[in-house]
Amino acid sequence: MDKEKLKEIGKICIPGMRLSPADDEHISGPGTYDLQGYIYATLAGILKTERDETRKATVITVVSPRTPSVLPRTGDIVTAKVTVVNSRMVQCVILCVGASVLVRPYRGVLKKEDIKSTDKDRIDPYKCFRPGDVILARVLPMTEIHWYHLSTAENELGVVIATAEGSPQGVGMVPISWSEMQCPKTLVKEPRKVARVIPENINQNLFNVGKDKEKKSKEPAEDKSN
Amino acid sequence: MPLDYRRFNGPEDSVSYKRFTKDYLKSYSELYNNLIDEKGRRKDGRALEEARSMCMFFARTDMVSQAKGSAYIELKKTKAVCSVFDPREIPHQNEFSQLGQLFCEVKFAPFSCPNQRRTHAPDADEKALSVALRQALEPTVCRHLFPNYQIDVFVYILENDGSCLAAAINAAGLALANAAVPMYDIITACSVAVIGEKMFVDPTEAEEHLAMMTPEKEGTNHGIITMSMLSELKQVSDFTQIGSMDTDCVTKAIEILEKECENIVPNIQKVLVLNVVQCIEQRKQLEEEAKEREQALNAKMEEWKQLLNSG
Amino acid sequence: MAGLLLSETEKVFILHGVQDDYRSDGRSNIDYRPMELETDVVSHASGSARLRLANTDILVGVKTEIDVPKPDKPDSGRIEFFVDCSANATPEFEGRGGEQLASSISNLMQRAYHSSQAFNLKQLCIFEGKQCWKLYIDILILECGGNLCDAVSLAVKAALFNTRIPFVKAALMDGGNVDLQLSDDPYDSKLLDVGSAPLLVTLCKIGENCVVDPSAEEESCSVISLIVGVTGNRQYYTQEEETDKKTMEGKCTTIAMHGPGSVAPKTLKEAINQGIIAAKSLDEALGQALLRERQENIGFKKHSYGFLK
Repeated sequence: MDKEKLKEIGKICIPGMRLSPADDEHISGPGTYDLQGYIYATLAGILKTERDETRKATVITVVSPRTPSVLPRTGDIVTAKVTVVNSRMVQCVILCVGASVLVRPYRGVLKKEDIKSTDKDRIDPYKCFRPGDVILARVLPMTEIHWYHLSTAENELGVVIATAEGSPQGVGMVPISWSEMQCPKTLVKEPRKVARVIPENINQNLFNVGKDKEKKSKEPAEDKSN
Repeated sequence: MPLDYRRFNGPEDSVSYKRFTKDYLKSYSELYNNLIDEKGRRKDGRALEEARSMCMFFARTDMVSQAKGSAYIELKKTKAVCSVFDPREIPHQNEFSQLGQLFCEVKFAPFSCPNQRRTHAPDADEKALSVALRQALEPTVCRHLFPNYQIDVFVYILENDGSCLAAAINAAGLALANAAVPMYDIITACSVAVIGEKMFVDPTEAEEHLAMMTPEKEGTNHGIITMSMLSELKQVSDFTQIGSMDTDCVTKAIEILEKECENIVPNIQKVLVLNVVQCIEQRKQLEEEAKEREQALNAKMEEWKQLLNSG
Repeated sequence: MAGLLLSETEKVFILHGVQDDYRSDGRSNIDYRPMELETDVVSHASGSARLRLANTDILVGVKTEIDVPKPDKPDSGRIEFFVDCSANATPEFEGRGGEQLASSISNLMQRAYHSSQAFNLKQLCIFEGKQCWKLYIDILILECGGNLCDAVSLAVKAALFNTRIPFVKAALMDGGNVDLQLSDDPYDSKLLDVGSAPLLVTLCKIGENCVVDPSAEEESCSVISLIVGVTGNRQYYTQEEETDKKTMEGKCTTIAMHGPGSVAPKTLKEAINQGIIAAKSLDEALGQALLRERQENIGFKKHSYGFLK
């Protein structure tokens, strides 16, 4: 390997590599762990150091060129596809966590009272979701073994992509209010718990990650909804 | 092939033709003399304490396209493939567990062993290897990151010429790192066969076979030890011994194995670094291609716009 | 063990106790809890033993059958271990729950008995290349209270010590078949040489030290344990004083690790040494107990306890 190329790539880490001392100045970020006063890498990838102004410290992270084998964690924003709707809850499969696409789909459940933050006792799941909708949701603490509990009780969370009943495949509805969407072809209006997003800038409100990355994570979700 | 539970699986009654050859019932001393020449060199020209990894260590990642991560390791005639898959639900689990689980399976190819043909159903040997592999890998994987889920690690041994557990652990360690499963450390393993006073590092099948046989002289040490280590943390994650040996012998073997495990680390590191570089280059190339496509598309758009405006 | 919750301070208390070689129940780090052992408890088995160590209850029965020796070892007998973890012991074993544990214990025993320095299979030979004795060692776990490996190995050794194999009066070659003639008298039988049979010692790593025979509380403080199989000493199992034969040192026949943690190489070496010391005293105690029981048996003084105790 020529050195030029390596320089361009940056510092390559492999698991177990000691990266720096762990003190007030250095905090271990994703892809690292600290043990007995030092920060070590857990992934094979590239070392990144970022200055965290609020904590006045350098965050040390390792970015893997592949999507790490991660699972949704409490507090993460996930992209999911609705599979079952009944009067008590909505079931869905989780497709993406943040910016990374999952290889295996994981099961998520959205309870009736977690759909909206207001008027909790008068929520009707049928008027918020339909099977096939792609939604954004936040992961709640795990209480069941194989189900991730989700919540859409935020303005930015809810249905992102949906097709009206009877509309041709691939024609997505356009939100017309916070609780309604309309099909541009058939002009059918359907009730939904709409996420407050402008499709182009969908992610900038939610994550401060680069736009390109986000787009990538969205594409597979769209593919599946078609 | 799954085990057929519906029928009674009788024992295989075919035998290897090698049973009728002269080699089969060689005496202990004959076998011993076959292994080592007068100069103290082994049959394949290695010195006693020389591992195959030193002269020939071939490993690569990304063998299996369907798996999240995979690795292939070759120690002369011992060949193993390992693939690692993304976390999945633990079947039949009904208890909440804070730590994720590893599911390991070691399988021999039917034609991998010199004497008997391996059956499809997992035998006691394979089960024991699977348990040892899991024991070795558990301390190195950050299991708290996938509670209630399990990561599958499958090792297939294509050809067995001794030290297959060590090869399986090395391959699995590489495949896990390749799959970007968070790990505390790199894991390496090595084995040693003890025959009397001599220690054969990284033994071949013939050496292992002899080490498992009991010497004629009462009280002689014999047996096989396999040890796996976390390189940076200097911890032993698995230690399996079989045979009969005294403590001095075990202590000596631990020291040899410790050194040998360290010797393998640079090889593994090299493979991993190469892997990272390759991945990044691939991605860069893809990005460039995407950029080109976008530019071409934009140019087309401009063309059409002009056409529309003019027409 | 399930349902056992220890606070941090309780764990620290146990850890400090282990550091000072004085555990919470007054034992030192290489002491076992008291056990009860009785041999010859099952009338239909060739040999049997029942062992109770704290809350662990093991019943071992040895059945002898005739089989063909393995082609690569024509002059040796065969021995096989079967462990049955019934749901009687703990509800966790219900269905196929105990299968994995059972196979790991039987595998460990098989490995420990592999070397002929541990157990000489040649004593089971009847007719070289044609017929041999096969010992089926069935291990029943009646109650599961931790430290299974140690208890199983002790019970197996006691059962083997108790095993009687009928004398073969004559073995005739009749065409290609072997014709065996056994004695009609059931007491006309031979005992096995089991003095060197291995014992398994489980060493639980707590803090920087290792303890044998951990209690449930101690087990919950530990993430890794080491199982060492150590050969026994023939001297403890015969009445004849053999002064000329030098005392055989305990040899490791199998070593395995169990648990999600890892150990430093130095601790590993220390633990192995500690295991050998513990095994030696255990072996001596077992030998004494077995000899005493045999004496009582000969004098018809033995009082059978059976299962109701």
